[in-house]
Amino acid sequence: MVHDDEQQPRRVVITGLGTVTSIGLGAPAFLDGLKSGRSGVKPLTAFDTTGFAHANACEVADFAPGDWIHHVDPRELGRATQFSVAAANMAVADAGLTARELRERRVLVSVGTTDAESRDLDTLVGTQLAEGPERLSPGVARRAQAGRLSSGIVRELGLVDVEALTIPTACAAGNYAIGSGFDAIRYGEVEAALCGGADAVCRKTFTGFYRLGTIAPEVCQPFDIDRKGILTGEGAGVLLLESLESALARGARIYAEVLGYGLNCDAHHPVAPDQDSLARCMEVAHRNAGVAQEDIDFISAHGTGTRANDVTEAGAIRQVFDTPPPTVSIKSMIGHSMGAASALAAAACALALTEGFIPPTVNHRETDPECGLDCVPNEARPAELNVVQNNALAFAGNNAVLILGRMNRTRRTARPEPLKEAV
Amino acid sequence: MPSSLVISAWSAISPYGVGNAPLREGLAEGRDAIAALDHDTYPVPFGQAALVPDFSAAKYVGKKGTRTMDRVTALAVTAVGGLVGAIAGELQARPEQTALVLGTGSGSVQSIMDFTKDSLSGERPYHVEPARFPNTVMNRAAGQSAIWHRIKGPNTTVAGGALTGLLALSYALRLHRGGHCTRVLCGAAEEFSTQRAWLEWHGRAEEERRTPLGEGAAVFLVEPAEDATAAGRTVLARIAGTRFRAYREPDGIRDALTACVRSTLDAAGVAPGSVRFVAPLGGGGKPAAEEEQAVTDALPGADPAWIRLREHLGDTSAAATALQLAAVLAAAGGQGLGPGEAALVTGVEPDGQVGCAVFTGV
Repeated sequence: MVHDDEQQPRRVVITGLGTVTSIGLGAPAFLDGLKSGRSGVKPLTAFDTTGFAHANACEVADFAPGDWIHHVDPRELGRATQFSVAAANMAVADAGLTARELRERRVLVSVGTTDAESRDLDTLVGTQLAEGPERLSPGVARRAQAGRLSSGIVRELGLVDVEALTIPTACAAGNYAIGSGFDAIRYGEVEAALCGGADAVCRKTFTGFYRLGTIAPEVCQPFDIDRKGILTGEGAGVLLLESLESALARGARIYAEVLGYGLNCDAHHPVAPDQDSLARCMEVAHRNAGVAQEDIDFISAHGTGTRANDVTEAGAIRQVFDTPPPTVSIKSMIGHSMGAASALAAAACALALTEGFIPPTVNHRETDPECGLDCVPNEARPAELNVVQNNALAFAGNNAVLILGRMNRTRRTARPEPLKEAV
Repeated sequence: MPSSLVISAWSAISPYGVGNAPLREGLAEGRDAIAALDHDTYPVPFGQAALVPDFSAAKYVGKKGTRTMDRVTALAVTAVGGLVGAIAGELQARPEQTALVLGTGSGSVQSIMDFTKDSLSGERPYHVEPARFPNTVMNRAAGQSAIWHRIKGPNTTVAGGALTGLLALSYALRLHRGGHCTRVLCGAAEEFSTQRAWLEWHGRAEEERRTPLGEGAAVFLVEPAEDATAAGRTVLARIAGTRFRAYREPDGIRDALTACVRSTLDAAGVAPGSVRFVAPLGGGGKPAAEEEQAVTDALPGADPAWIRLREHLGDTSAAATALQLAAVLAAAGGQGLGPGEAALVTGVEPDGQVGCAVFTGV
């Protein structure tokens, strides 16, 4: 067989959502949380926080792995993998598919993460300090691997013809993973993709952000003049992607169409974002998706709630958009779930497109004039939406912007032009 | 899915030394790079390891700006540095068109666990060094390589155990097909560390503990053939394709991998008999035997040279399949694979996946 480069690219749609979040398990509960502006903030329980002046977080409190994971022993999975496997099961069921049906298809599994099973690595450090490295638990050592976040899904669903990769591109990883799934279906490489992100709250990352002075004492207030930083969060978002043709053939409900995405790297600073580079990433995404800036109906911002992120991100948005659209951060509700963050935000965008509303930015009192954006304060807003944008930034200047559209059967998709060197 | 991309340059760091020449020479001599470990430096339960000799960030990346650079990051920055010279003009003119896709195990488990240790054993739980925090995030090696060499295109970190190098390559092909870059620097890196050694020791079956750990990195310049030719770079191999499958029990490895290899050859129209080099992972007793049997099943009529890297370099973990590809290119010589020749790289991940990549001459 010779690959036909002129083959018409497929349109790619989201037909299943799996969400493990601090404001609800499963898409209906997550939707309810987004619409009502629920906050998942609570005192942190993942580890002993003695000695920290403040330690709030957005943990997934009521997660019983056995309720969501049926074929793999949950004890063989670290907490982040439990989240990713649970979210994958939810996404498959939500799509109206069974594991058996998925086994007959060629599948890509791609899961983004910041910390993978660093929660387990924390535990092992504790053992090592108390009892020595000879006493580490073999089961925990074995499961504390980044690759498990995706291979756990393969094992749980018994997939056969499958490529499973974990994408540890930190806090933008969810968008990276969805983007790769989009390309895989768009060019006919696979028939279904389970993609998203997962992370579990851990001491290592909480401590790092605390030391940088970026953990908010109480709540996360993106774009607010009094914002004080992030709240670490956790969870997983997994999307089931398939071609439009496949979704229509089986009469599936379609949440949204994936229109395209853009990636770039600041190549400038390990932790500080770069406004010009982020602006370019949005433009790259628009071009890949075949949309113009004025088409975007709202932006789901990275919106961490730190001084630096929000002002830089808002600046980049104003640089690209003649009139910036409403720009919200669901991190105000679910905290910063790291590698899961942009996957959950993508799920929120898909739900927003389906249900016709813009999720709010909660905990909002007064918009920082330096940000100067309509952040849809405190209450969800009904809106007819066609195209939405999901921003994600990560350490090392890794930017990823995803564009989703309302399902429109007559949309003409632009085939993105391959990049060519200027001669 | 068949690709139209080629490899036109490569850069390797192996336990034979830094650079392509030591790998080429070490392999030609069939030399073992495994040596007794200095237990004062590395208090670990393994007696031997295959370390990159005299490697340090200060020596190979420079003293400036490397005080907090960990070993896997230094390996990645150095390996990528071995390629950027080949595309210096392109990187200067359009840095946003070159992507970097780098495979990793779990970043540096040494950096991650040291950071937690400082939090748990210091006077205050936040008495940690902030400059070391980015080392604990798994995209550090790829991100720092981009910063060091000013590579502004997509920057992606990929993890998938023993299959990491093949998965990074597959991701890179997809990224290019999607129009996200003009070329990709693609590879994988793994460090030896005390902490990795303890995790591997506890995570392994008894019989696997005899395999020493290795380390290294390999990165490839992946681009359309016409771009390579236009720039005066020799096309070393065309990437015919990659393929992955899952298995449930070790008995399933053989069939799964045979199916992978067959479908990759078929999709690219490559005759099994044309395969001249095979570089298997060779991990573990039964999986290694199943892997070799699968390749033999899939290549009737072939009489390939087998490159068994693990015997010489130990278990290089996330870097393994990338180093296997580097070994194939080393064996193929300066002009790369010849017309009508093909090469096969395979891997078996104990967690339940197999994968392969096929390359052809042009």
